[in-house]
Amino acid sequence: MSRRIIQIDLNRVEGDLDFQLEMEDGKVVDARCIGSLYRGFEQILVGRMPKDSLVITPRICGICGTAHLNSAVLALEQIGRIPVPPNAIRIRNLCLMAETLQSDLRQSFLFFTADFCHPKYINRLFYDKALAAFLPFKGWVHRGALEYSRHAVEIIALFGGQWPHSSYMLPGGVTTAASSRHIIDSFSILNKLTRWFEQTVIGTDLDSWLALQSADEFFAWLTAKDAHADSAIGLFTRMSRDIGLHRLGFGTPHMLSYGAYDDPEEAGTFPLHRKHLFKAGFLDGDTGNIEPFEQNEITEHVRYSWFQPYKGGRHPFQGQTIPDYQPHSDRYTWSKAPRYQNKVVQTGPLADALIDGVPLIRSLYEAEGGNAWLRQFSRLCRTAKLLHTMRETLHELAAHPDDPHMISPVEKEIPDGEGFGLVTAARGALGHWVQITDGVISRYQVVTPTAWNASPKDSEGRHGHWESSLIGLTVDDPDDPVEIGHIIRSHDPCLVCTVHLLDTGKRITVWP
Amino acid sequence: MDARHIICFGNELHGDDGFGIRIYTQLCRLTWPKDVEVFNAGIAGLNALRLLEDCSQAILVDALANFGNVGGICVLRPEDLAGRQQKLTGHGLGIPYLLEAVKVIRQPLPDILIVGVEIAAVKPFSIGLSDKTEQAVPKTIRLIRNLLSE
Repeated sequence: MSRRIIQIDLNRVEGDLDFQLEMEDGKVVDARCIGSLYRGFEQILVGRMPKDSLVITPRICGICGTAHLNSAVLALEQIGRIPVPPNAIRIRNLCLMAETLQSDLRQSFLFFTADFCHPKYINRLFYDKALAAFLPFKGWVHRGALEYSRHAVEIIALFGGQWPHSSYMLPGGVTTAASSRHIIDSFSILNKLTRWFEQTVIGTDLDSWLALQSADEFFAWLTAKDAHADSAIGLFTRMSRDIGLHRLGFGTPHMLSYGAYDDPEEAGTFPLHRKHLFKAGFLDGDTGNIEPFEQNEITEHVRYSWFQPYKGGRHPFQGQTIPDYQPHSDRYTWSKAPRYQNKVVQTGPLADALIDGVPLIRSLYEAEGGNAWLRQFSRLCRTAKLLHTMRETLHELAAHPDDPHMISPVEKEIPDGEGFGLVTAARGALGHWVQITDGVISRYQVVTPTAWNASPKDSEGRHGHWESSLIGLTVDDPDDPVEIGHIIRSHDPCLVCTVHLLDTGKRITVWP
Repeated sequence: MDARHIICFGNELHGDDGFGIRIYTQLCRLTWPKDVEVFNAGIAGLNALRLLEDCSQAILVDALANFGNVGGICVLRPEDLAGRQQKLTGHGLGIPYLLEAVKVIRQPLPDILIVGVEIAAVKPFSIGLSDKTEQAVPKTIRLIRNLLSE
C-alpha cells in the first residue's frame, strides 16, 4: 500500500491557506485545511469606539468589504435600536449585490473554467472549444468576464465613493442619496452587464433563463439550440459533466443560509426581526427538512486551532480569540471550527438557493445531490437572479426619489449592549457579533463564510466541509491532481492555492 | 490633454515589499504638473486596472525579484515581463497579470513603463526597507521625475 502526503498551499500576501492531503493507493484518506496566517482583527477592535468597526472591518477582505461593512452596521443598529429608511436598505442591497456579482463572474470565468484548458483534457472532444472560450486572456468568455465584471463595482463607487474598503453605511442609513444621476449611471452599468450576460453566459434572454424550473427543463434547454449549448454556461455544464464533476466533491450535506438582502418594506423593524428578499434557514441534510435559522445555534470550536483551548463549542457572544501557536501539536490552523446545531455545515450560493427554494437548483439537487458542478452552477444562476433583482431595486429607488437615505440616530453614541449583523456575502454566511461595555467594544467576533466552509476538525474530531469534500476522492495522477483543483475552486476559496506534492516537489497553482 | 499616471504597488507591512509605497509617499511631497496624478495601488491586483484608464502614459512602480543586483533600478517595458508571470514580488495577481488584462480590455493602450528596484527580502510584518533598497529611493525619484519631464 502506498501512502503519501500532498500539501496544497493557498498563498497570497494578504492571507495564507494550505491544504495537506494524505493519499493511500491514489485515494485521499485524510485532509487538513490550514489557515496559516493569523489576522487579529477581532483583537484590534477591542477597546475601540463602536463605530470604528465601520472603518476597520471592511479591510478584512479585498473582495467582500461591502459585506463586512453591512454586517458591522447591522450589529450597531441592533444594539442602539436604530431605525433606517427603506431607501438606505435599497442602496445597501444594491451595492452588496454588485459586489457579489463581480465576485461570482470572476470566480466562474477567470478561475474555475480555466481548468478545462488543462493539458490533461487534450484528447477530450471539448478541448478546442475550451481553449476558444476559457483560455486566460485569449478565450472569448475569459476576455468578456475580465471586461464586464469590473464594471459591477462601479455601482458601489457611485454610492460609496470607492471600492474596495468603503465605509458609506452608517447607523441610520447611508451617506449618499440615490440622485437621478446615480440611478441613470447604475442603470447604464447594469444594462451593459445584462446584455453581455445574455449574449455570452446564457445565450438567451434573462427572463427565459429565469423561467427554467426543473432539471428536465434545463437539460432540454441545453440541447435545444446551439446558442444554448455553446453559451458559457452551456460549455461549462457540458465540460463539467464530461469529466464527472457532477459526481464529485459533495462535502457535508448540511447547509446554512442567513438569508440575503433585507426587505426594504421591513425598514421599520430592527435587524433582529427583519425579513429578507431571499430566505434564511438551515437545511438538515439527514432529513431533507428546511428549518428556521436560529443564530443562537452557532458555536465555534478551537480543539484543532492555535487558540487558547476551551471545552467544546462557544457561541460568538461567549467567544474567545486568544492566539496560542502550538506548531508541534495536533492543532493545525488559525481558523476556528464553526458549527450549527453542533453539525458541520456548508454555506454559499448552493445552500442559499436550496434554502430559498429556487426550483431549478432544488430539482438538480434532488436528482444528483450537492456536487461540485451544481455548486458552481448555482453561483452562475445567482448572477442571473441578481441582475434581475438589482434592476427591481433601481426601479424602486427611482420611484422614491425624495425619500430619506438616512435617519439620524437620536443618540450620538451607540449604547452599551450586544448585537449581531448577519448578511450573505459572495461566499456565503457572514456574521459579526459585537458587545459594547462602558462605551467601547468589549468583544468582537467575526465568523466568515470561509471559516464555515474551510473549517478544521471540531472537538468531536469531525472534519470541516472542504476537508470532507476531498476525503475519498480518487486522483488519476497524484503528480498533477487537477481533480483537487476543480473541487477546491468549486468552493470559491478567497485565496490562491498551490497544490504541493511533498515527495515529488511538484506544485500546481490554483487561483481563487 | 490626457493625464499621466504614476501607480505605486506594494505592501509596506512586509519589509522591502513596501518599496513602491515608500516611493509613493516621497512623490506626494513633490509638486507635479496638472496632468500628473500619483496613486497608491497597494495590493489592488486586478482592481488597479481602473488606474490604467484615461491616461496617455502610465508609470508603474514596484519591487522586483530576479532582475539584477539588490538595490539596482530597472526601467522595463511590458514586453520585458512577458513570460515572467509572477516573477515580480506578486501583489495579488501581480503586475504581469494586470498588463495581460489591460491588453484585453483597453485599446489603445497608454504608454506603460515599469520602474522597479531589485529588493533584498520580503519580510512579513516588518515595517521599513532594508539599507540597499532604501538607498535606491532618491535615485528612483529622480528617475521618475526625468521620465515625466520629457
